Amino acid sequence: MNKITLIIQREYLSRVRKRTFIVTTLLFPLLYLGLIFGTSYLSENAGTKLKIAIVDSSGSFTQQRIDKANKDFPNSTLTLVKEDPATLSKHFDQKGFDGYLIIPAATMVSHSPDHLVVKSKRTLGTVSDVQTKLNAIWSDIKYEDLGIDTLKQHLLSQSQLKVKSENTANKTADAGLAYATGFACGMLIYFIVLLYGTQVMMGVMEEKTSRIAEIMVSSVKPFQLMVGKIIGIALVALTQFLLWIAFVFIIYNVTKAGIGSNNAVSGVIGGVQEIFSSINIPIILFLFAFYFLGGFFFYASIYAAIGSTVSEDVRESQSLSFPVTLIIVFGFFIMMVAAKDPGSPIAVWGSLIPFTSPLVMMARIPYGMPGTVPYWQLALSMGLLVASFLFVAWFAGKIYRTGILMYGKKPTWKEMVRWAMRK
Amino acid sequence: MDLLQVAHLKKYFATQKAVDDISFTISEGQIFGLLGPNGAGKTTLIRMITGIFYPDAGTITLDGKLFDPVSDIGKIGYMPEERGLYKKMKIGEQALYLAQLKGLKKKDAIESLKTWFEKLEMESWWNKKVEDLSKGMQQKLQFVITVLHQPRLIILDEPFSGLDPVNSTLIKDEIFNLARNGSTVIFSTHRMEQVEEICDHIILVNKGQKLLDGTVHGIKQAFKEHLYKITFAAAPPQDTAPDLFEVKQTTADTLVIQKHPDVNNNQVLAHFLNRGDAIESFNEILPSLNDIFIRKVEGTPLARRFQTLQD
Repeated sequence: MNKITLIIQREYLSRVRKRTFIVTTLLFPLLYLGLIFGTSYLSENAGTKLKIAIVDSSGSFTQQRIDKANKDFPNSTLTLVKEDPATLSKHFDQKGFDGYLIIPAATMVSHSPDHLVVKSKRTLGTVSDVQTKLNAIWSDIKYEDLGIDTLKQHLLSQSQLKVKSENTANKTADAGLAYATGFACGMLIYFIVLLYGTQVMMGVMEEKTSRIAEIMVSSVKPFQLMVGKIIGIALVALTQFLLWIAFVFIIYNVTKAGIGSNNAVSGVIGGVQEIFSSINIPIILFLFAFYFLGGFFFYASIYAAIGSTVSEDVRESQSLSFPVTLIIVFGFFIMMVAAKDPGSPIAVWGSLIPFTSPLVMMARIPYGMPGTVPYWQLALSMGLLVASFLFVAWFAGKIYRTGILMYGKKPTWKEMVRWAMRK
Repeated sequence: MDLLQVAHLKKYFATQKAVDDISFTISEGQIFGLLGPNGAGKTTLIRMITGIFYPDAGTITLDGKLFDPVSDIGKIGYMPEERGLYKKMKIGEQALYLAQLKGLKKKDAIESLKTWFEKLEMESWWNKKVEDLSKGMQQKLQFVITVLHQPRLIILDEPFSGLDPVNSTLIKDEIFNLARNGSTVIFSTHRMEQVEEICDHIILVNKGQKLLDGTVHGIKQAFKEHLYKITFAAAPPQDTAPDLFEVKQTTADTLVIQKHPDVNNNQVLAHFLNRGDAIESFNEILPSLNDIFIRKVEGTPLARRFQTLQD
């Protein structure tokens, strides 16, 4: 046992102290920050403020109304002009306008035109800003025309029918939140398994190519070496995620203090807080830890076995690990289906079969138990995962024990099975 | 006292009998040579003694008790032929880690490391990485790591490959030192001149079986051909005494003779002395281990053929 601790220690420290670990750990939150600030900056400042000339033949669009709209919606500027459309069309751009719009004389509340056209000498793209603005003016005109006072206006805009789904077996499950939580959990497990599973494989290959494997197995059992490596790398993954969570928390607090209510940041964190307050945190956290560890150990054992059969060639490892990676990616797609429709047969089967269950089950659980996930399904899924993890670790350990001392010829699958069967 | 007893050890792989019924004993403090051509089964034999492989049949007794890979690992220091270290790890940390895996306490490991580093002039290496070292330097480090935990049994597989003569001598002296202090050394190689120089006792294996077992002196005696080299002050005499010996070779001042088995040396010397020849030296020519090795292994294919085993 003491030896496994030593191995875990080395595997952990040698990775955590590496420059690449520090760089990726620091870089991720910076990229995250950049993404949030960048997108909000872009959405606010990248679009040009359109200056549009309005020629009003209907007489409803008064200077007063346009001034009010310009104040309420500052993303574009409307200017009322009295010029003749024919002359305006020739030199509106020289006057500093991006385009002009003619409101026909026949425009009335009972008879609104199909389209108003902003005419321009260049492509303006979407003119939704202008549309919103004109509609705001148009609403005022409509209300006035129909004699609706502000009280009635308020009533009209507030009175709407809203539809959402509810699971009668589990009334607390909120579909939107459950989707977000399930998707996030599945995604995290997917990344951890893929990223750090291949790290296990590379670590085993490093031991083989640097020829230290024989020295190691003359001091410790191969199984101890394998388990120590897997646990050490699992701890590295955990460390990185905890650091990231800490960073995100710090960044959130800093940005909240710094720029007030940045929509993107507070939106994300607000969502997270809402999730935390409305779902059963302890159970989700426990199951997340269970499926994270189960899934990681399951796949890391397979990756370790693959790494032990490869001698020098990195391409060999790629061709051997490709099917495994494919299964994980396949699990990811089932997870996306399950996050949307947690009761579908593919989601149920995916959450039971150990190859995909760590990802898929985590997408279903936030929808609630026993409403969406009956207890027997959860128990079966967990039991199968534990049983198959033990089997895979035993099987991989056998292959690892033989493979780690083999050099030269690449073993066939048949040979690997024979290694595993030998006592 | 016998430190290691190996009895009827067998290990069959799918395609060959790697070790096929080998027995031998090594007494404490001995430097024991394990010889054999490539693919003879030496590495498999060693891997069973170090607990890496389980034997298919047979027993290994270490220090009077049946060998138990888990608890006896600390008593053995093994330097495999395929050697290597973690390239990116600092040398001091690496040596410490490997020593701790052998069961050494951290404090003792540091102390022992410092003594060894000082002895082999490696003090400045502590914070260097393995990838910064030359091949010979890595070899030295590997040797230190092998013997750091003061193992009772030290197994060295081709320990001098890649070392220059200065470092070879350094390591050789350390091996003698260790043996003098009570460690037992198994020395696996196919470099015969080193074996003659270092080993007390050897066995020769080929195709998974033991061909020879004995002391270097004993084996040489067993394979001697009664050849003698006589150096004369003047040109050697031309006439011979066919009842005593046959002349095998003549040069300007020497004669190589093969005496008949029942003739003793005094009779041969008396023959020349009676003739009045001035003899400068009279030496027995013993076969070198190299000759014996080649003679025993010759005729068998150099590389092992893959055999199919019937289960």
